[in-house]
Amino acid sequence: MAILEVFDLHKQFKDLKVLKGITTSIEQGEVVVIIGPSGSGKSTFLRCLNFLEVPTSGEIRFEGNRITPDNLNMVRREMGMVFQRFNLFPHKSVLDNITLAPKLVRKVDSDTAVQQAYELLQKVGLRDKAHAYPDQLSGGQQQRVAIARALAMRPKVMLFDEPTSALDPEMIGEVLDVMKDLAREGMTMIVVTHEMGFAREVGDRVIFIDDGQLVEENAPDELFNNPQHPRTQSFLSKIL
Amino acid sequence: MDFQWSLVWSSVPTLLEGALLTLQLTTIAVAIGIVLGTIFGIMRLSSTPLRYLAVAYIDFIRGTPLLVQIFIIYYGMPSLIKQPVPPYIAAVIALSINSGAYVAEIVRAGIQSIEKGQTEAALSLGLSKTAAMTHIILPQAFKRIVPPLGNEFIALLKDSSLVSAIALEELVRKAQIVSGRTFRPFEVWFVVAIMYLIMTVTISQIVRILEKRLRVGE
Repeated sequence: MAILEVFDLHKQFKDLKVLKGITTSIEQGEVVVIIGPSGSGKSTFLRCLNFLEVPTSGEIRFEGNRITPDNLNMVRREMGMVFQRFNLFPHKSVLDNITLAPKLVRKVDSDTAVQQAYELLQKVGLRDKAHAYPDQLSGGQQQRVAIARALAMRPKVMLFDEPTSALDPEMIGEVLDVMKDLAREGMTMIVVTHEMGFAREVGDRVIFIDDGQLVEENAPDELFNNPQHPRTQSFLSKIL
Repeated sequence: MDFQWSLVWSSVPTLLEGALLTLQLTTIAVAIGIVLGTIFGIMRLSSTPLRYLAVAYIDFIRGTPLLVQIFIIYYGMPSLIKQPVPPYIAAVIALSINSGAYVAEIVRAGIQSIEKGQTEAALSLGLSKTAAMTHIILPQAFKRIVPPLGNEFIALLKDSSLVSAIALEELVRKAQIVSGRTFRPFEVWFVVAIMYLIMTVTISQIVRILEKRLRVGE
């Protein structure tokens, strides 16, 4: 069954139409990579999925239920999000960043939350940084903490909004490795990225968005090697 | 020029009493002002009609003289509530309401200075808007607004001299009394100025220390 379904999604900022009717669905356990030129609307699309941008029209269903302002907080705790600029809470330690939402939203008791946080830090290779503050970490380390923070809510879907775009080149690998592990464990992931290698290696499907429209979607090898649409061909010829 | 300090020296204890009241009034008013300012600063940023209430309050207070506000409370309110308002109470109310409006603008600016990504991260984790505000935004905003809050404290400490106009015996009122009794206005007012200076310099030092302590993790 599809975990996320998107029907005719439109988003308009004042006079600017950013999304012009996108329809797609994401299966449980699927890794979907969204690519497209800058300004194409791919980040806006991702941000509409958990209503950080409220769609102008159209419908999004999570596990069959339409997302509305009323059930939004319930849905958001099932959807983790990782941002380009990490957005860790600078006034809280790494441990507190990770345990905050489980304690506050899921009402997990403190000991359990802390223990789980250590497990997640272990997983992203930063167990020794539990008591550090975000500004004491490198960009790559901050992003790995951000992934652990999102995972702490035990989400069913993870959204990644250009997770490596703000990183120095030598730190991209460590973040992608964590994401690859996640994909192999069967996490449902929607990833906006320019990392075509990642798309090829772990993507089940690649969606190409241009000018607010879903132009083409296909398995990575198929889309990269044999793009059907002229716009996809033109975009890929510039980046590959 | 002959200074007669001995006369003034004997009135220092009286002036100190006044200074103490000045400090007390200001501290209470700023404390209440921070509570009012936080509430109205958040209201000012809300998308509900509450926003207009906050705008009206802030603009009215900032656009009218504090002395007039003090008179409205001290002379005006008794006719509304049909009983006299003691000068001390009137002073606390007027100074608090005044401070609240300025603090509201400080809080508003502090909240707006926190990157949008902080709210987005909190919301994406399933926190409610209120939880995002209290756990993520306000703690960071308050750290940043410590210096302007210190300035507000100092400004209000100086402005509190206006409550001498309703016969409350804070520092300026005490000085008027002492000056009338000793006929040494220059010495008396000079000592008063020094007392204000000591208080304001001390406050700004405390604020500076506080600012440094809070910088952890930023």
